[in-house]
Amino acid sequence: MNQTQIDGNVIDRCKRGDVRAFRELYNAYAAAMYNICLRMTGNVSDAEDTLQEAFIQVHRNIGKLESNTSVTAWIKRIVVNHCLNNLRKKKVYFEEVEEVEVAEEPGIDEDSFTWTVSAVKSAIHGLPQGYRTVLNLYLFEEYSHREIAEMMGITESTVKTQYMRAKEKVRQIVKQQNLIR
Amino acid sequence: MPDNFESFIQQHRDAFEGPGPSPRVWEALEKELGGSRKGKVVQLLSKNWFKAAVIAVLLVNAAVLFYMTRHKQHQQELANILPEMQDAKLYYTSRINEKLELINAYPANQLGLDSAARQELQLRNDTYKTLENELKNNPGNERIRGAMIRYYQLKLDLLDKILEELQDKHAAPTHLKKRYEAEI
Repeated sequence: MNQTQIDGNVIDRCKRGDVRAFRELYNAYAAAMYNICLRMTGNVSDAEDTLQEAFIQVHRNIGKLESNTSVTAWIKRIVVNHCLNNLRKKKVYFEEVEEVEVAEEPGIDEDSFTWTVSAVKSAIHGLPQGYRTVLNLYLFEEYSHREIAEMMGITESTVKTQYMRAKEKVRQIVKQQNLIR
Repeated sequence: MPDNFESFIQQHRDAFEGPGPSPRVWEALEKELGGSRKGKVVQLLSKNWFKAAVIAVLLVNAAVLFYMTRHKQHQQELANILPEMQDAKLYYTSRINEKLELINAYPANQLGLDSAARQELQLRNDTYKTLENELKNNPGNERIRGAMIRYYQLKLDLLDKILEELQDKHAAPTHLKKRYEAEI
């Protein structure tokens, strides 16, 4: 995610209820946050709805944002929490995904296929929701396993296991895609 | 150490970012913020609640004044005859003045009260002056003394509620933050 610089003055104006300042804030962060939502929810409609809800939350709570807090990290946390809450509302139980999954697959020789962005995107999109969430939060949003465990309400070891399995699954899917071509 | 997959993601990180959301998100958001402007209307209504409270105080005082005008007695100086009333006056007026100072530190647009309502918030408004005069004229009258204390208490309650609401809705003016904390 590109580092977005927002003038402290914009935040102060947002805190005073200035809608134009809030639009500046939104414009600065919308694309990056939308991409998080899109990766987490997996579809445009849910991503946009989640983004909207998250920014309403940002607007409501901006008065509580302390000057020494990173605006980017604060907004990102709100967005990610909204994504997770929406997934929970859709009855995605993160803990259960581990149980549903079959035994570990044999290791795949990575020299035998080629990584491409589109293949990886497609493979991640095809992951079970729990795996996808963990993988996205770790690889793309750069949260630690412990932070992810806290946010998702599961144990750190479950996060690590799901992440390893998610990676393995992506490798399998990308390899299959290579073979099809 | 990152494996091939993780390295690939790190190297191509930007390629995984797509374009931003459609304009309809901001449009919907703006409507919602309009909704929070509705919230501001509600906020204003609640400020009208302040006004209603001010009016309530006035009505109570008007009733007291009406009663007092029918019971004029001796004309004596308050401090000489009723030292305990003087103590109560000192106590309440200092607390009320502290609250007024905190409230007046907010910009007028945040306070959301017109000049007449702001004037009514002041301690020494016309009602108070009349009440004080009546008390001087009737220092021994228990009802008038009770009415004066009630006036102080109502005013203090009202100012407390206004301050609570202001503190909930707006950041405290920086130079008064420490005093707020002390107040809380």
